[in-house]
Amino acid sequence: MKRSPASSPLVELVDATKTFGVNEHKTVAVHDVSLQAFPGELIMLLGPSGSGKTTLLTLIAGLLKPTSGIVSLFGKQIDCYSRQELQQMRVLRVGFVFQTFLLLDALNVVENVALVLRFAGKSRHEAHRRAEDLLRLLHIEHLAVKFPQTLSQGEKQRVAVARAIANSADLILADEPTASLETKQGFEIIQLLHAYAAEENKCVIVASHDLRIVEFADRVLRLEDGVVVKSERKKDSGVEEASSRTI
Amino acid sequence: MYAIRTLIHQPLRLVLTIGGVALCVVLMLFLLSVYQGVADGSVEYVRQNKVDLWVLQRNATNILRGSSILSTGHGSIIREVPGVRIASPVLLLLSGIIKDGQVATLFLTGYDPTTGLGGPPQLVEGRSIQKDDEIVLDKCFAAKFHFKIDDRVRIQDDTLQVVGLSTGTNAFVIQYAFVSIKRAQALIGFPTLVTCYLIKIVEGTDVGSVTAAIHEDLPGVEVYDHETFLRNNTREMESGFLPLLYTVVIIGAIVLTTILSLLLSINILERRKDFAVMKAIGSPSRFLPRLVIQQALLLSSAGCIVALILFFPMVSLIERISPEVSTKSSAEQIVIVLLIVGVMSLISSFISMQRLRRIYPLEAFA
Repeated sequence: MKRSPASSPLVELVDATKTFGVNEHKTVAVHDVSLQAFPGELIMLLGPSGSGKTTLLTLIAGLLKPTSGIVSLFGKQIDCYSRQELQQMRVLRVGFVFQTFLLLDALNVVENVALVLRFAGKSRHEAHRRAEDLLRLLHIEHLAVKFPQTLSQGEKQRVAVARAIANSADLILADEPTASLETKQGFEIIQLLHAYAAEENKCVIVASHDLRIVEFADRVLRLEDGVVVKSERKKDSGVEEASSRTI
Repeated sequence: MYAIRTLIHQPLRLVLTIGGVALCVVLMLFLLSVYQGVADGSVEYVRQNKVDLWVLQRNATNILRGSSILSTGHGSIIREVPGVRIASPVLLLLSGIIKDGQVATLFLTGYDPTTGLGGPPQLVEGRSIQKDDEIVLDKCFAAKFHFKIDDRVRIQDDTLQVVGLSTGTNAFVIQYAFVSIKRAQALIGFPTLVTCYLIKIVEGTDVGSVTAAIHEDLPGVEVYDHETFLRNNTREMESGFLPLLYTVVIIGAIVLTTILSLLLSINILERRKDFAVMKAIGSPSRFLPRLVIQQALLLSSAGCIVALILFFPMVSLIERISPEVSTKSSAEQIVIVLLIVGVMSLISSFISMQRLRRIYPLEAFA
């Protein structure tokens, strides 16, 4: 992690809580979570199914609003963003990687990557050129005109990563990015995300229950039933346990 | 690109939808062309017999669905009116031609061959009648019942020779035929009976003063100038035909909208995850609705192209199978139908768009 002391957090959660339902049907998905995420970090949200990892990711993405507490993105509270600003922010500054890749199977690889660039306002030509450059960078240029259904799982996830970083997103949110992949493919993907965070000085937040990822994470938040039960900060010399709720 | 690709992804469904749209467009085009054909056929007789005045029985406004009974005596009086140059009688009656033991009904028109007024508007084959045992048939009627020039047709106990074929005399449900006024009066058994008189006035004479003079001499008649009489007949034709036409065109448009809405909605539901992902990764708010509109317009455009390719050969085939179906197409009709299709496409895309609202970006994480 190459964070400068002066850098401000891209993501900041203060006692963020998210509940669904009311009365006896009330479920607390995320409870009193506080977090600061900085450029250059790869943060892992580790926990079993139902622990609130994905809910936390969607809170960070501004797709859900917290029931209580504060969620700030890029220095501004989520509540203060208009719908249009949120959309603009997601397309320009946030990238998503999903467990099942979720590439659009009607479009070929280069078109899938170019789509987010088009969303960002790039011309068709510019978007395709940039998408092709990205595919070359990730060594998957040979897949450019292939359709997602003809790709291997690993190839699909590489394309998904290309889509996520197409607009040079400051923040990548990855939901179980290795869950559908074999060990080697999983390593490749997490290496890719780690390199993006470290080399491009971006922030990557990965929600996963895959312990293999832990070694790549700068910080690990262990979640159980929506609560952060443990947080660990990896230092150059090893792993340091944090006791504070603000991680 | 996405709009086209997702449509092509289900080729059978795409073909069926385009086919459905094309059939609706063909239906609308066909109805409009039939309407124009019927409209022309119904009033062409009046339009082409361009005289100065039409004289009918009091309260009769047209010759399509009104009865008018005058006598040859009226003609004698009219001819005495100052300014009247020609007063030519016409007798219109429903009659049947016996063919292969079956009776085919037609609108038998008796007129005076010496003046030619009230005769066939346009001949496509043969000549006008010159004698009392001759008849001119409508071209479509002749084709349907396989009559040709020089054939003999039986009307009641008389046998007449076909000497000519006319156009502009097909009113869809019935066709005109032309005989001499004497033959028509003989057929009906009233040698003095006349339906109306067609008047030509002396050049330079005022139509209004002649009309007033006829009214003065014959208080029990209606006198119309040509334009008014043409308008009366057009209105009469439209009142009987237009409601039916509009109803079927509206049904066609509704079917078209339903087909398009169904296809677009199914497409949205099938691609629900795609739409959720696009919403999650930040598609602009107008992008997805525009996608649906693009698909609707693509489908309807493809349907219109197929319809236009099919329409003219189909009409030609129908006219060959059923010659009495007289159609008349125009660029104006095509533009009207294309506009209707365009509007219906937009309506169907707006209907389908409601489904978009119920797709949430969070579904991408499910």
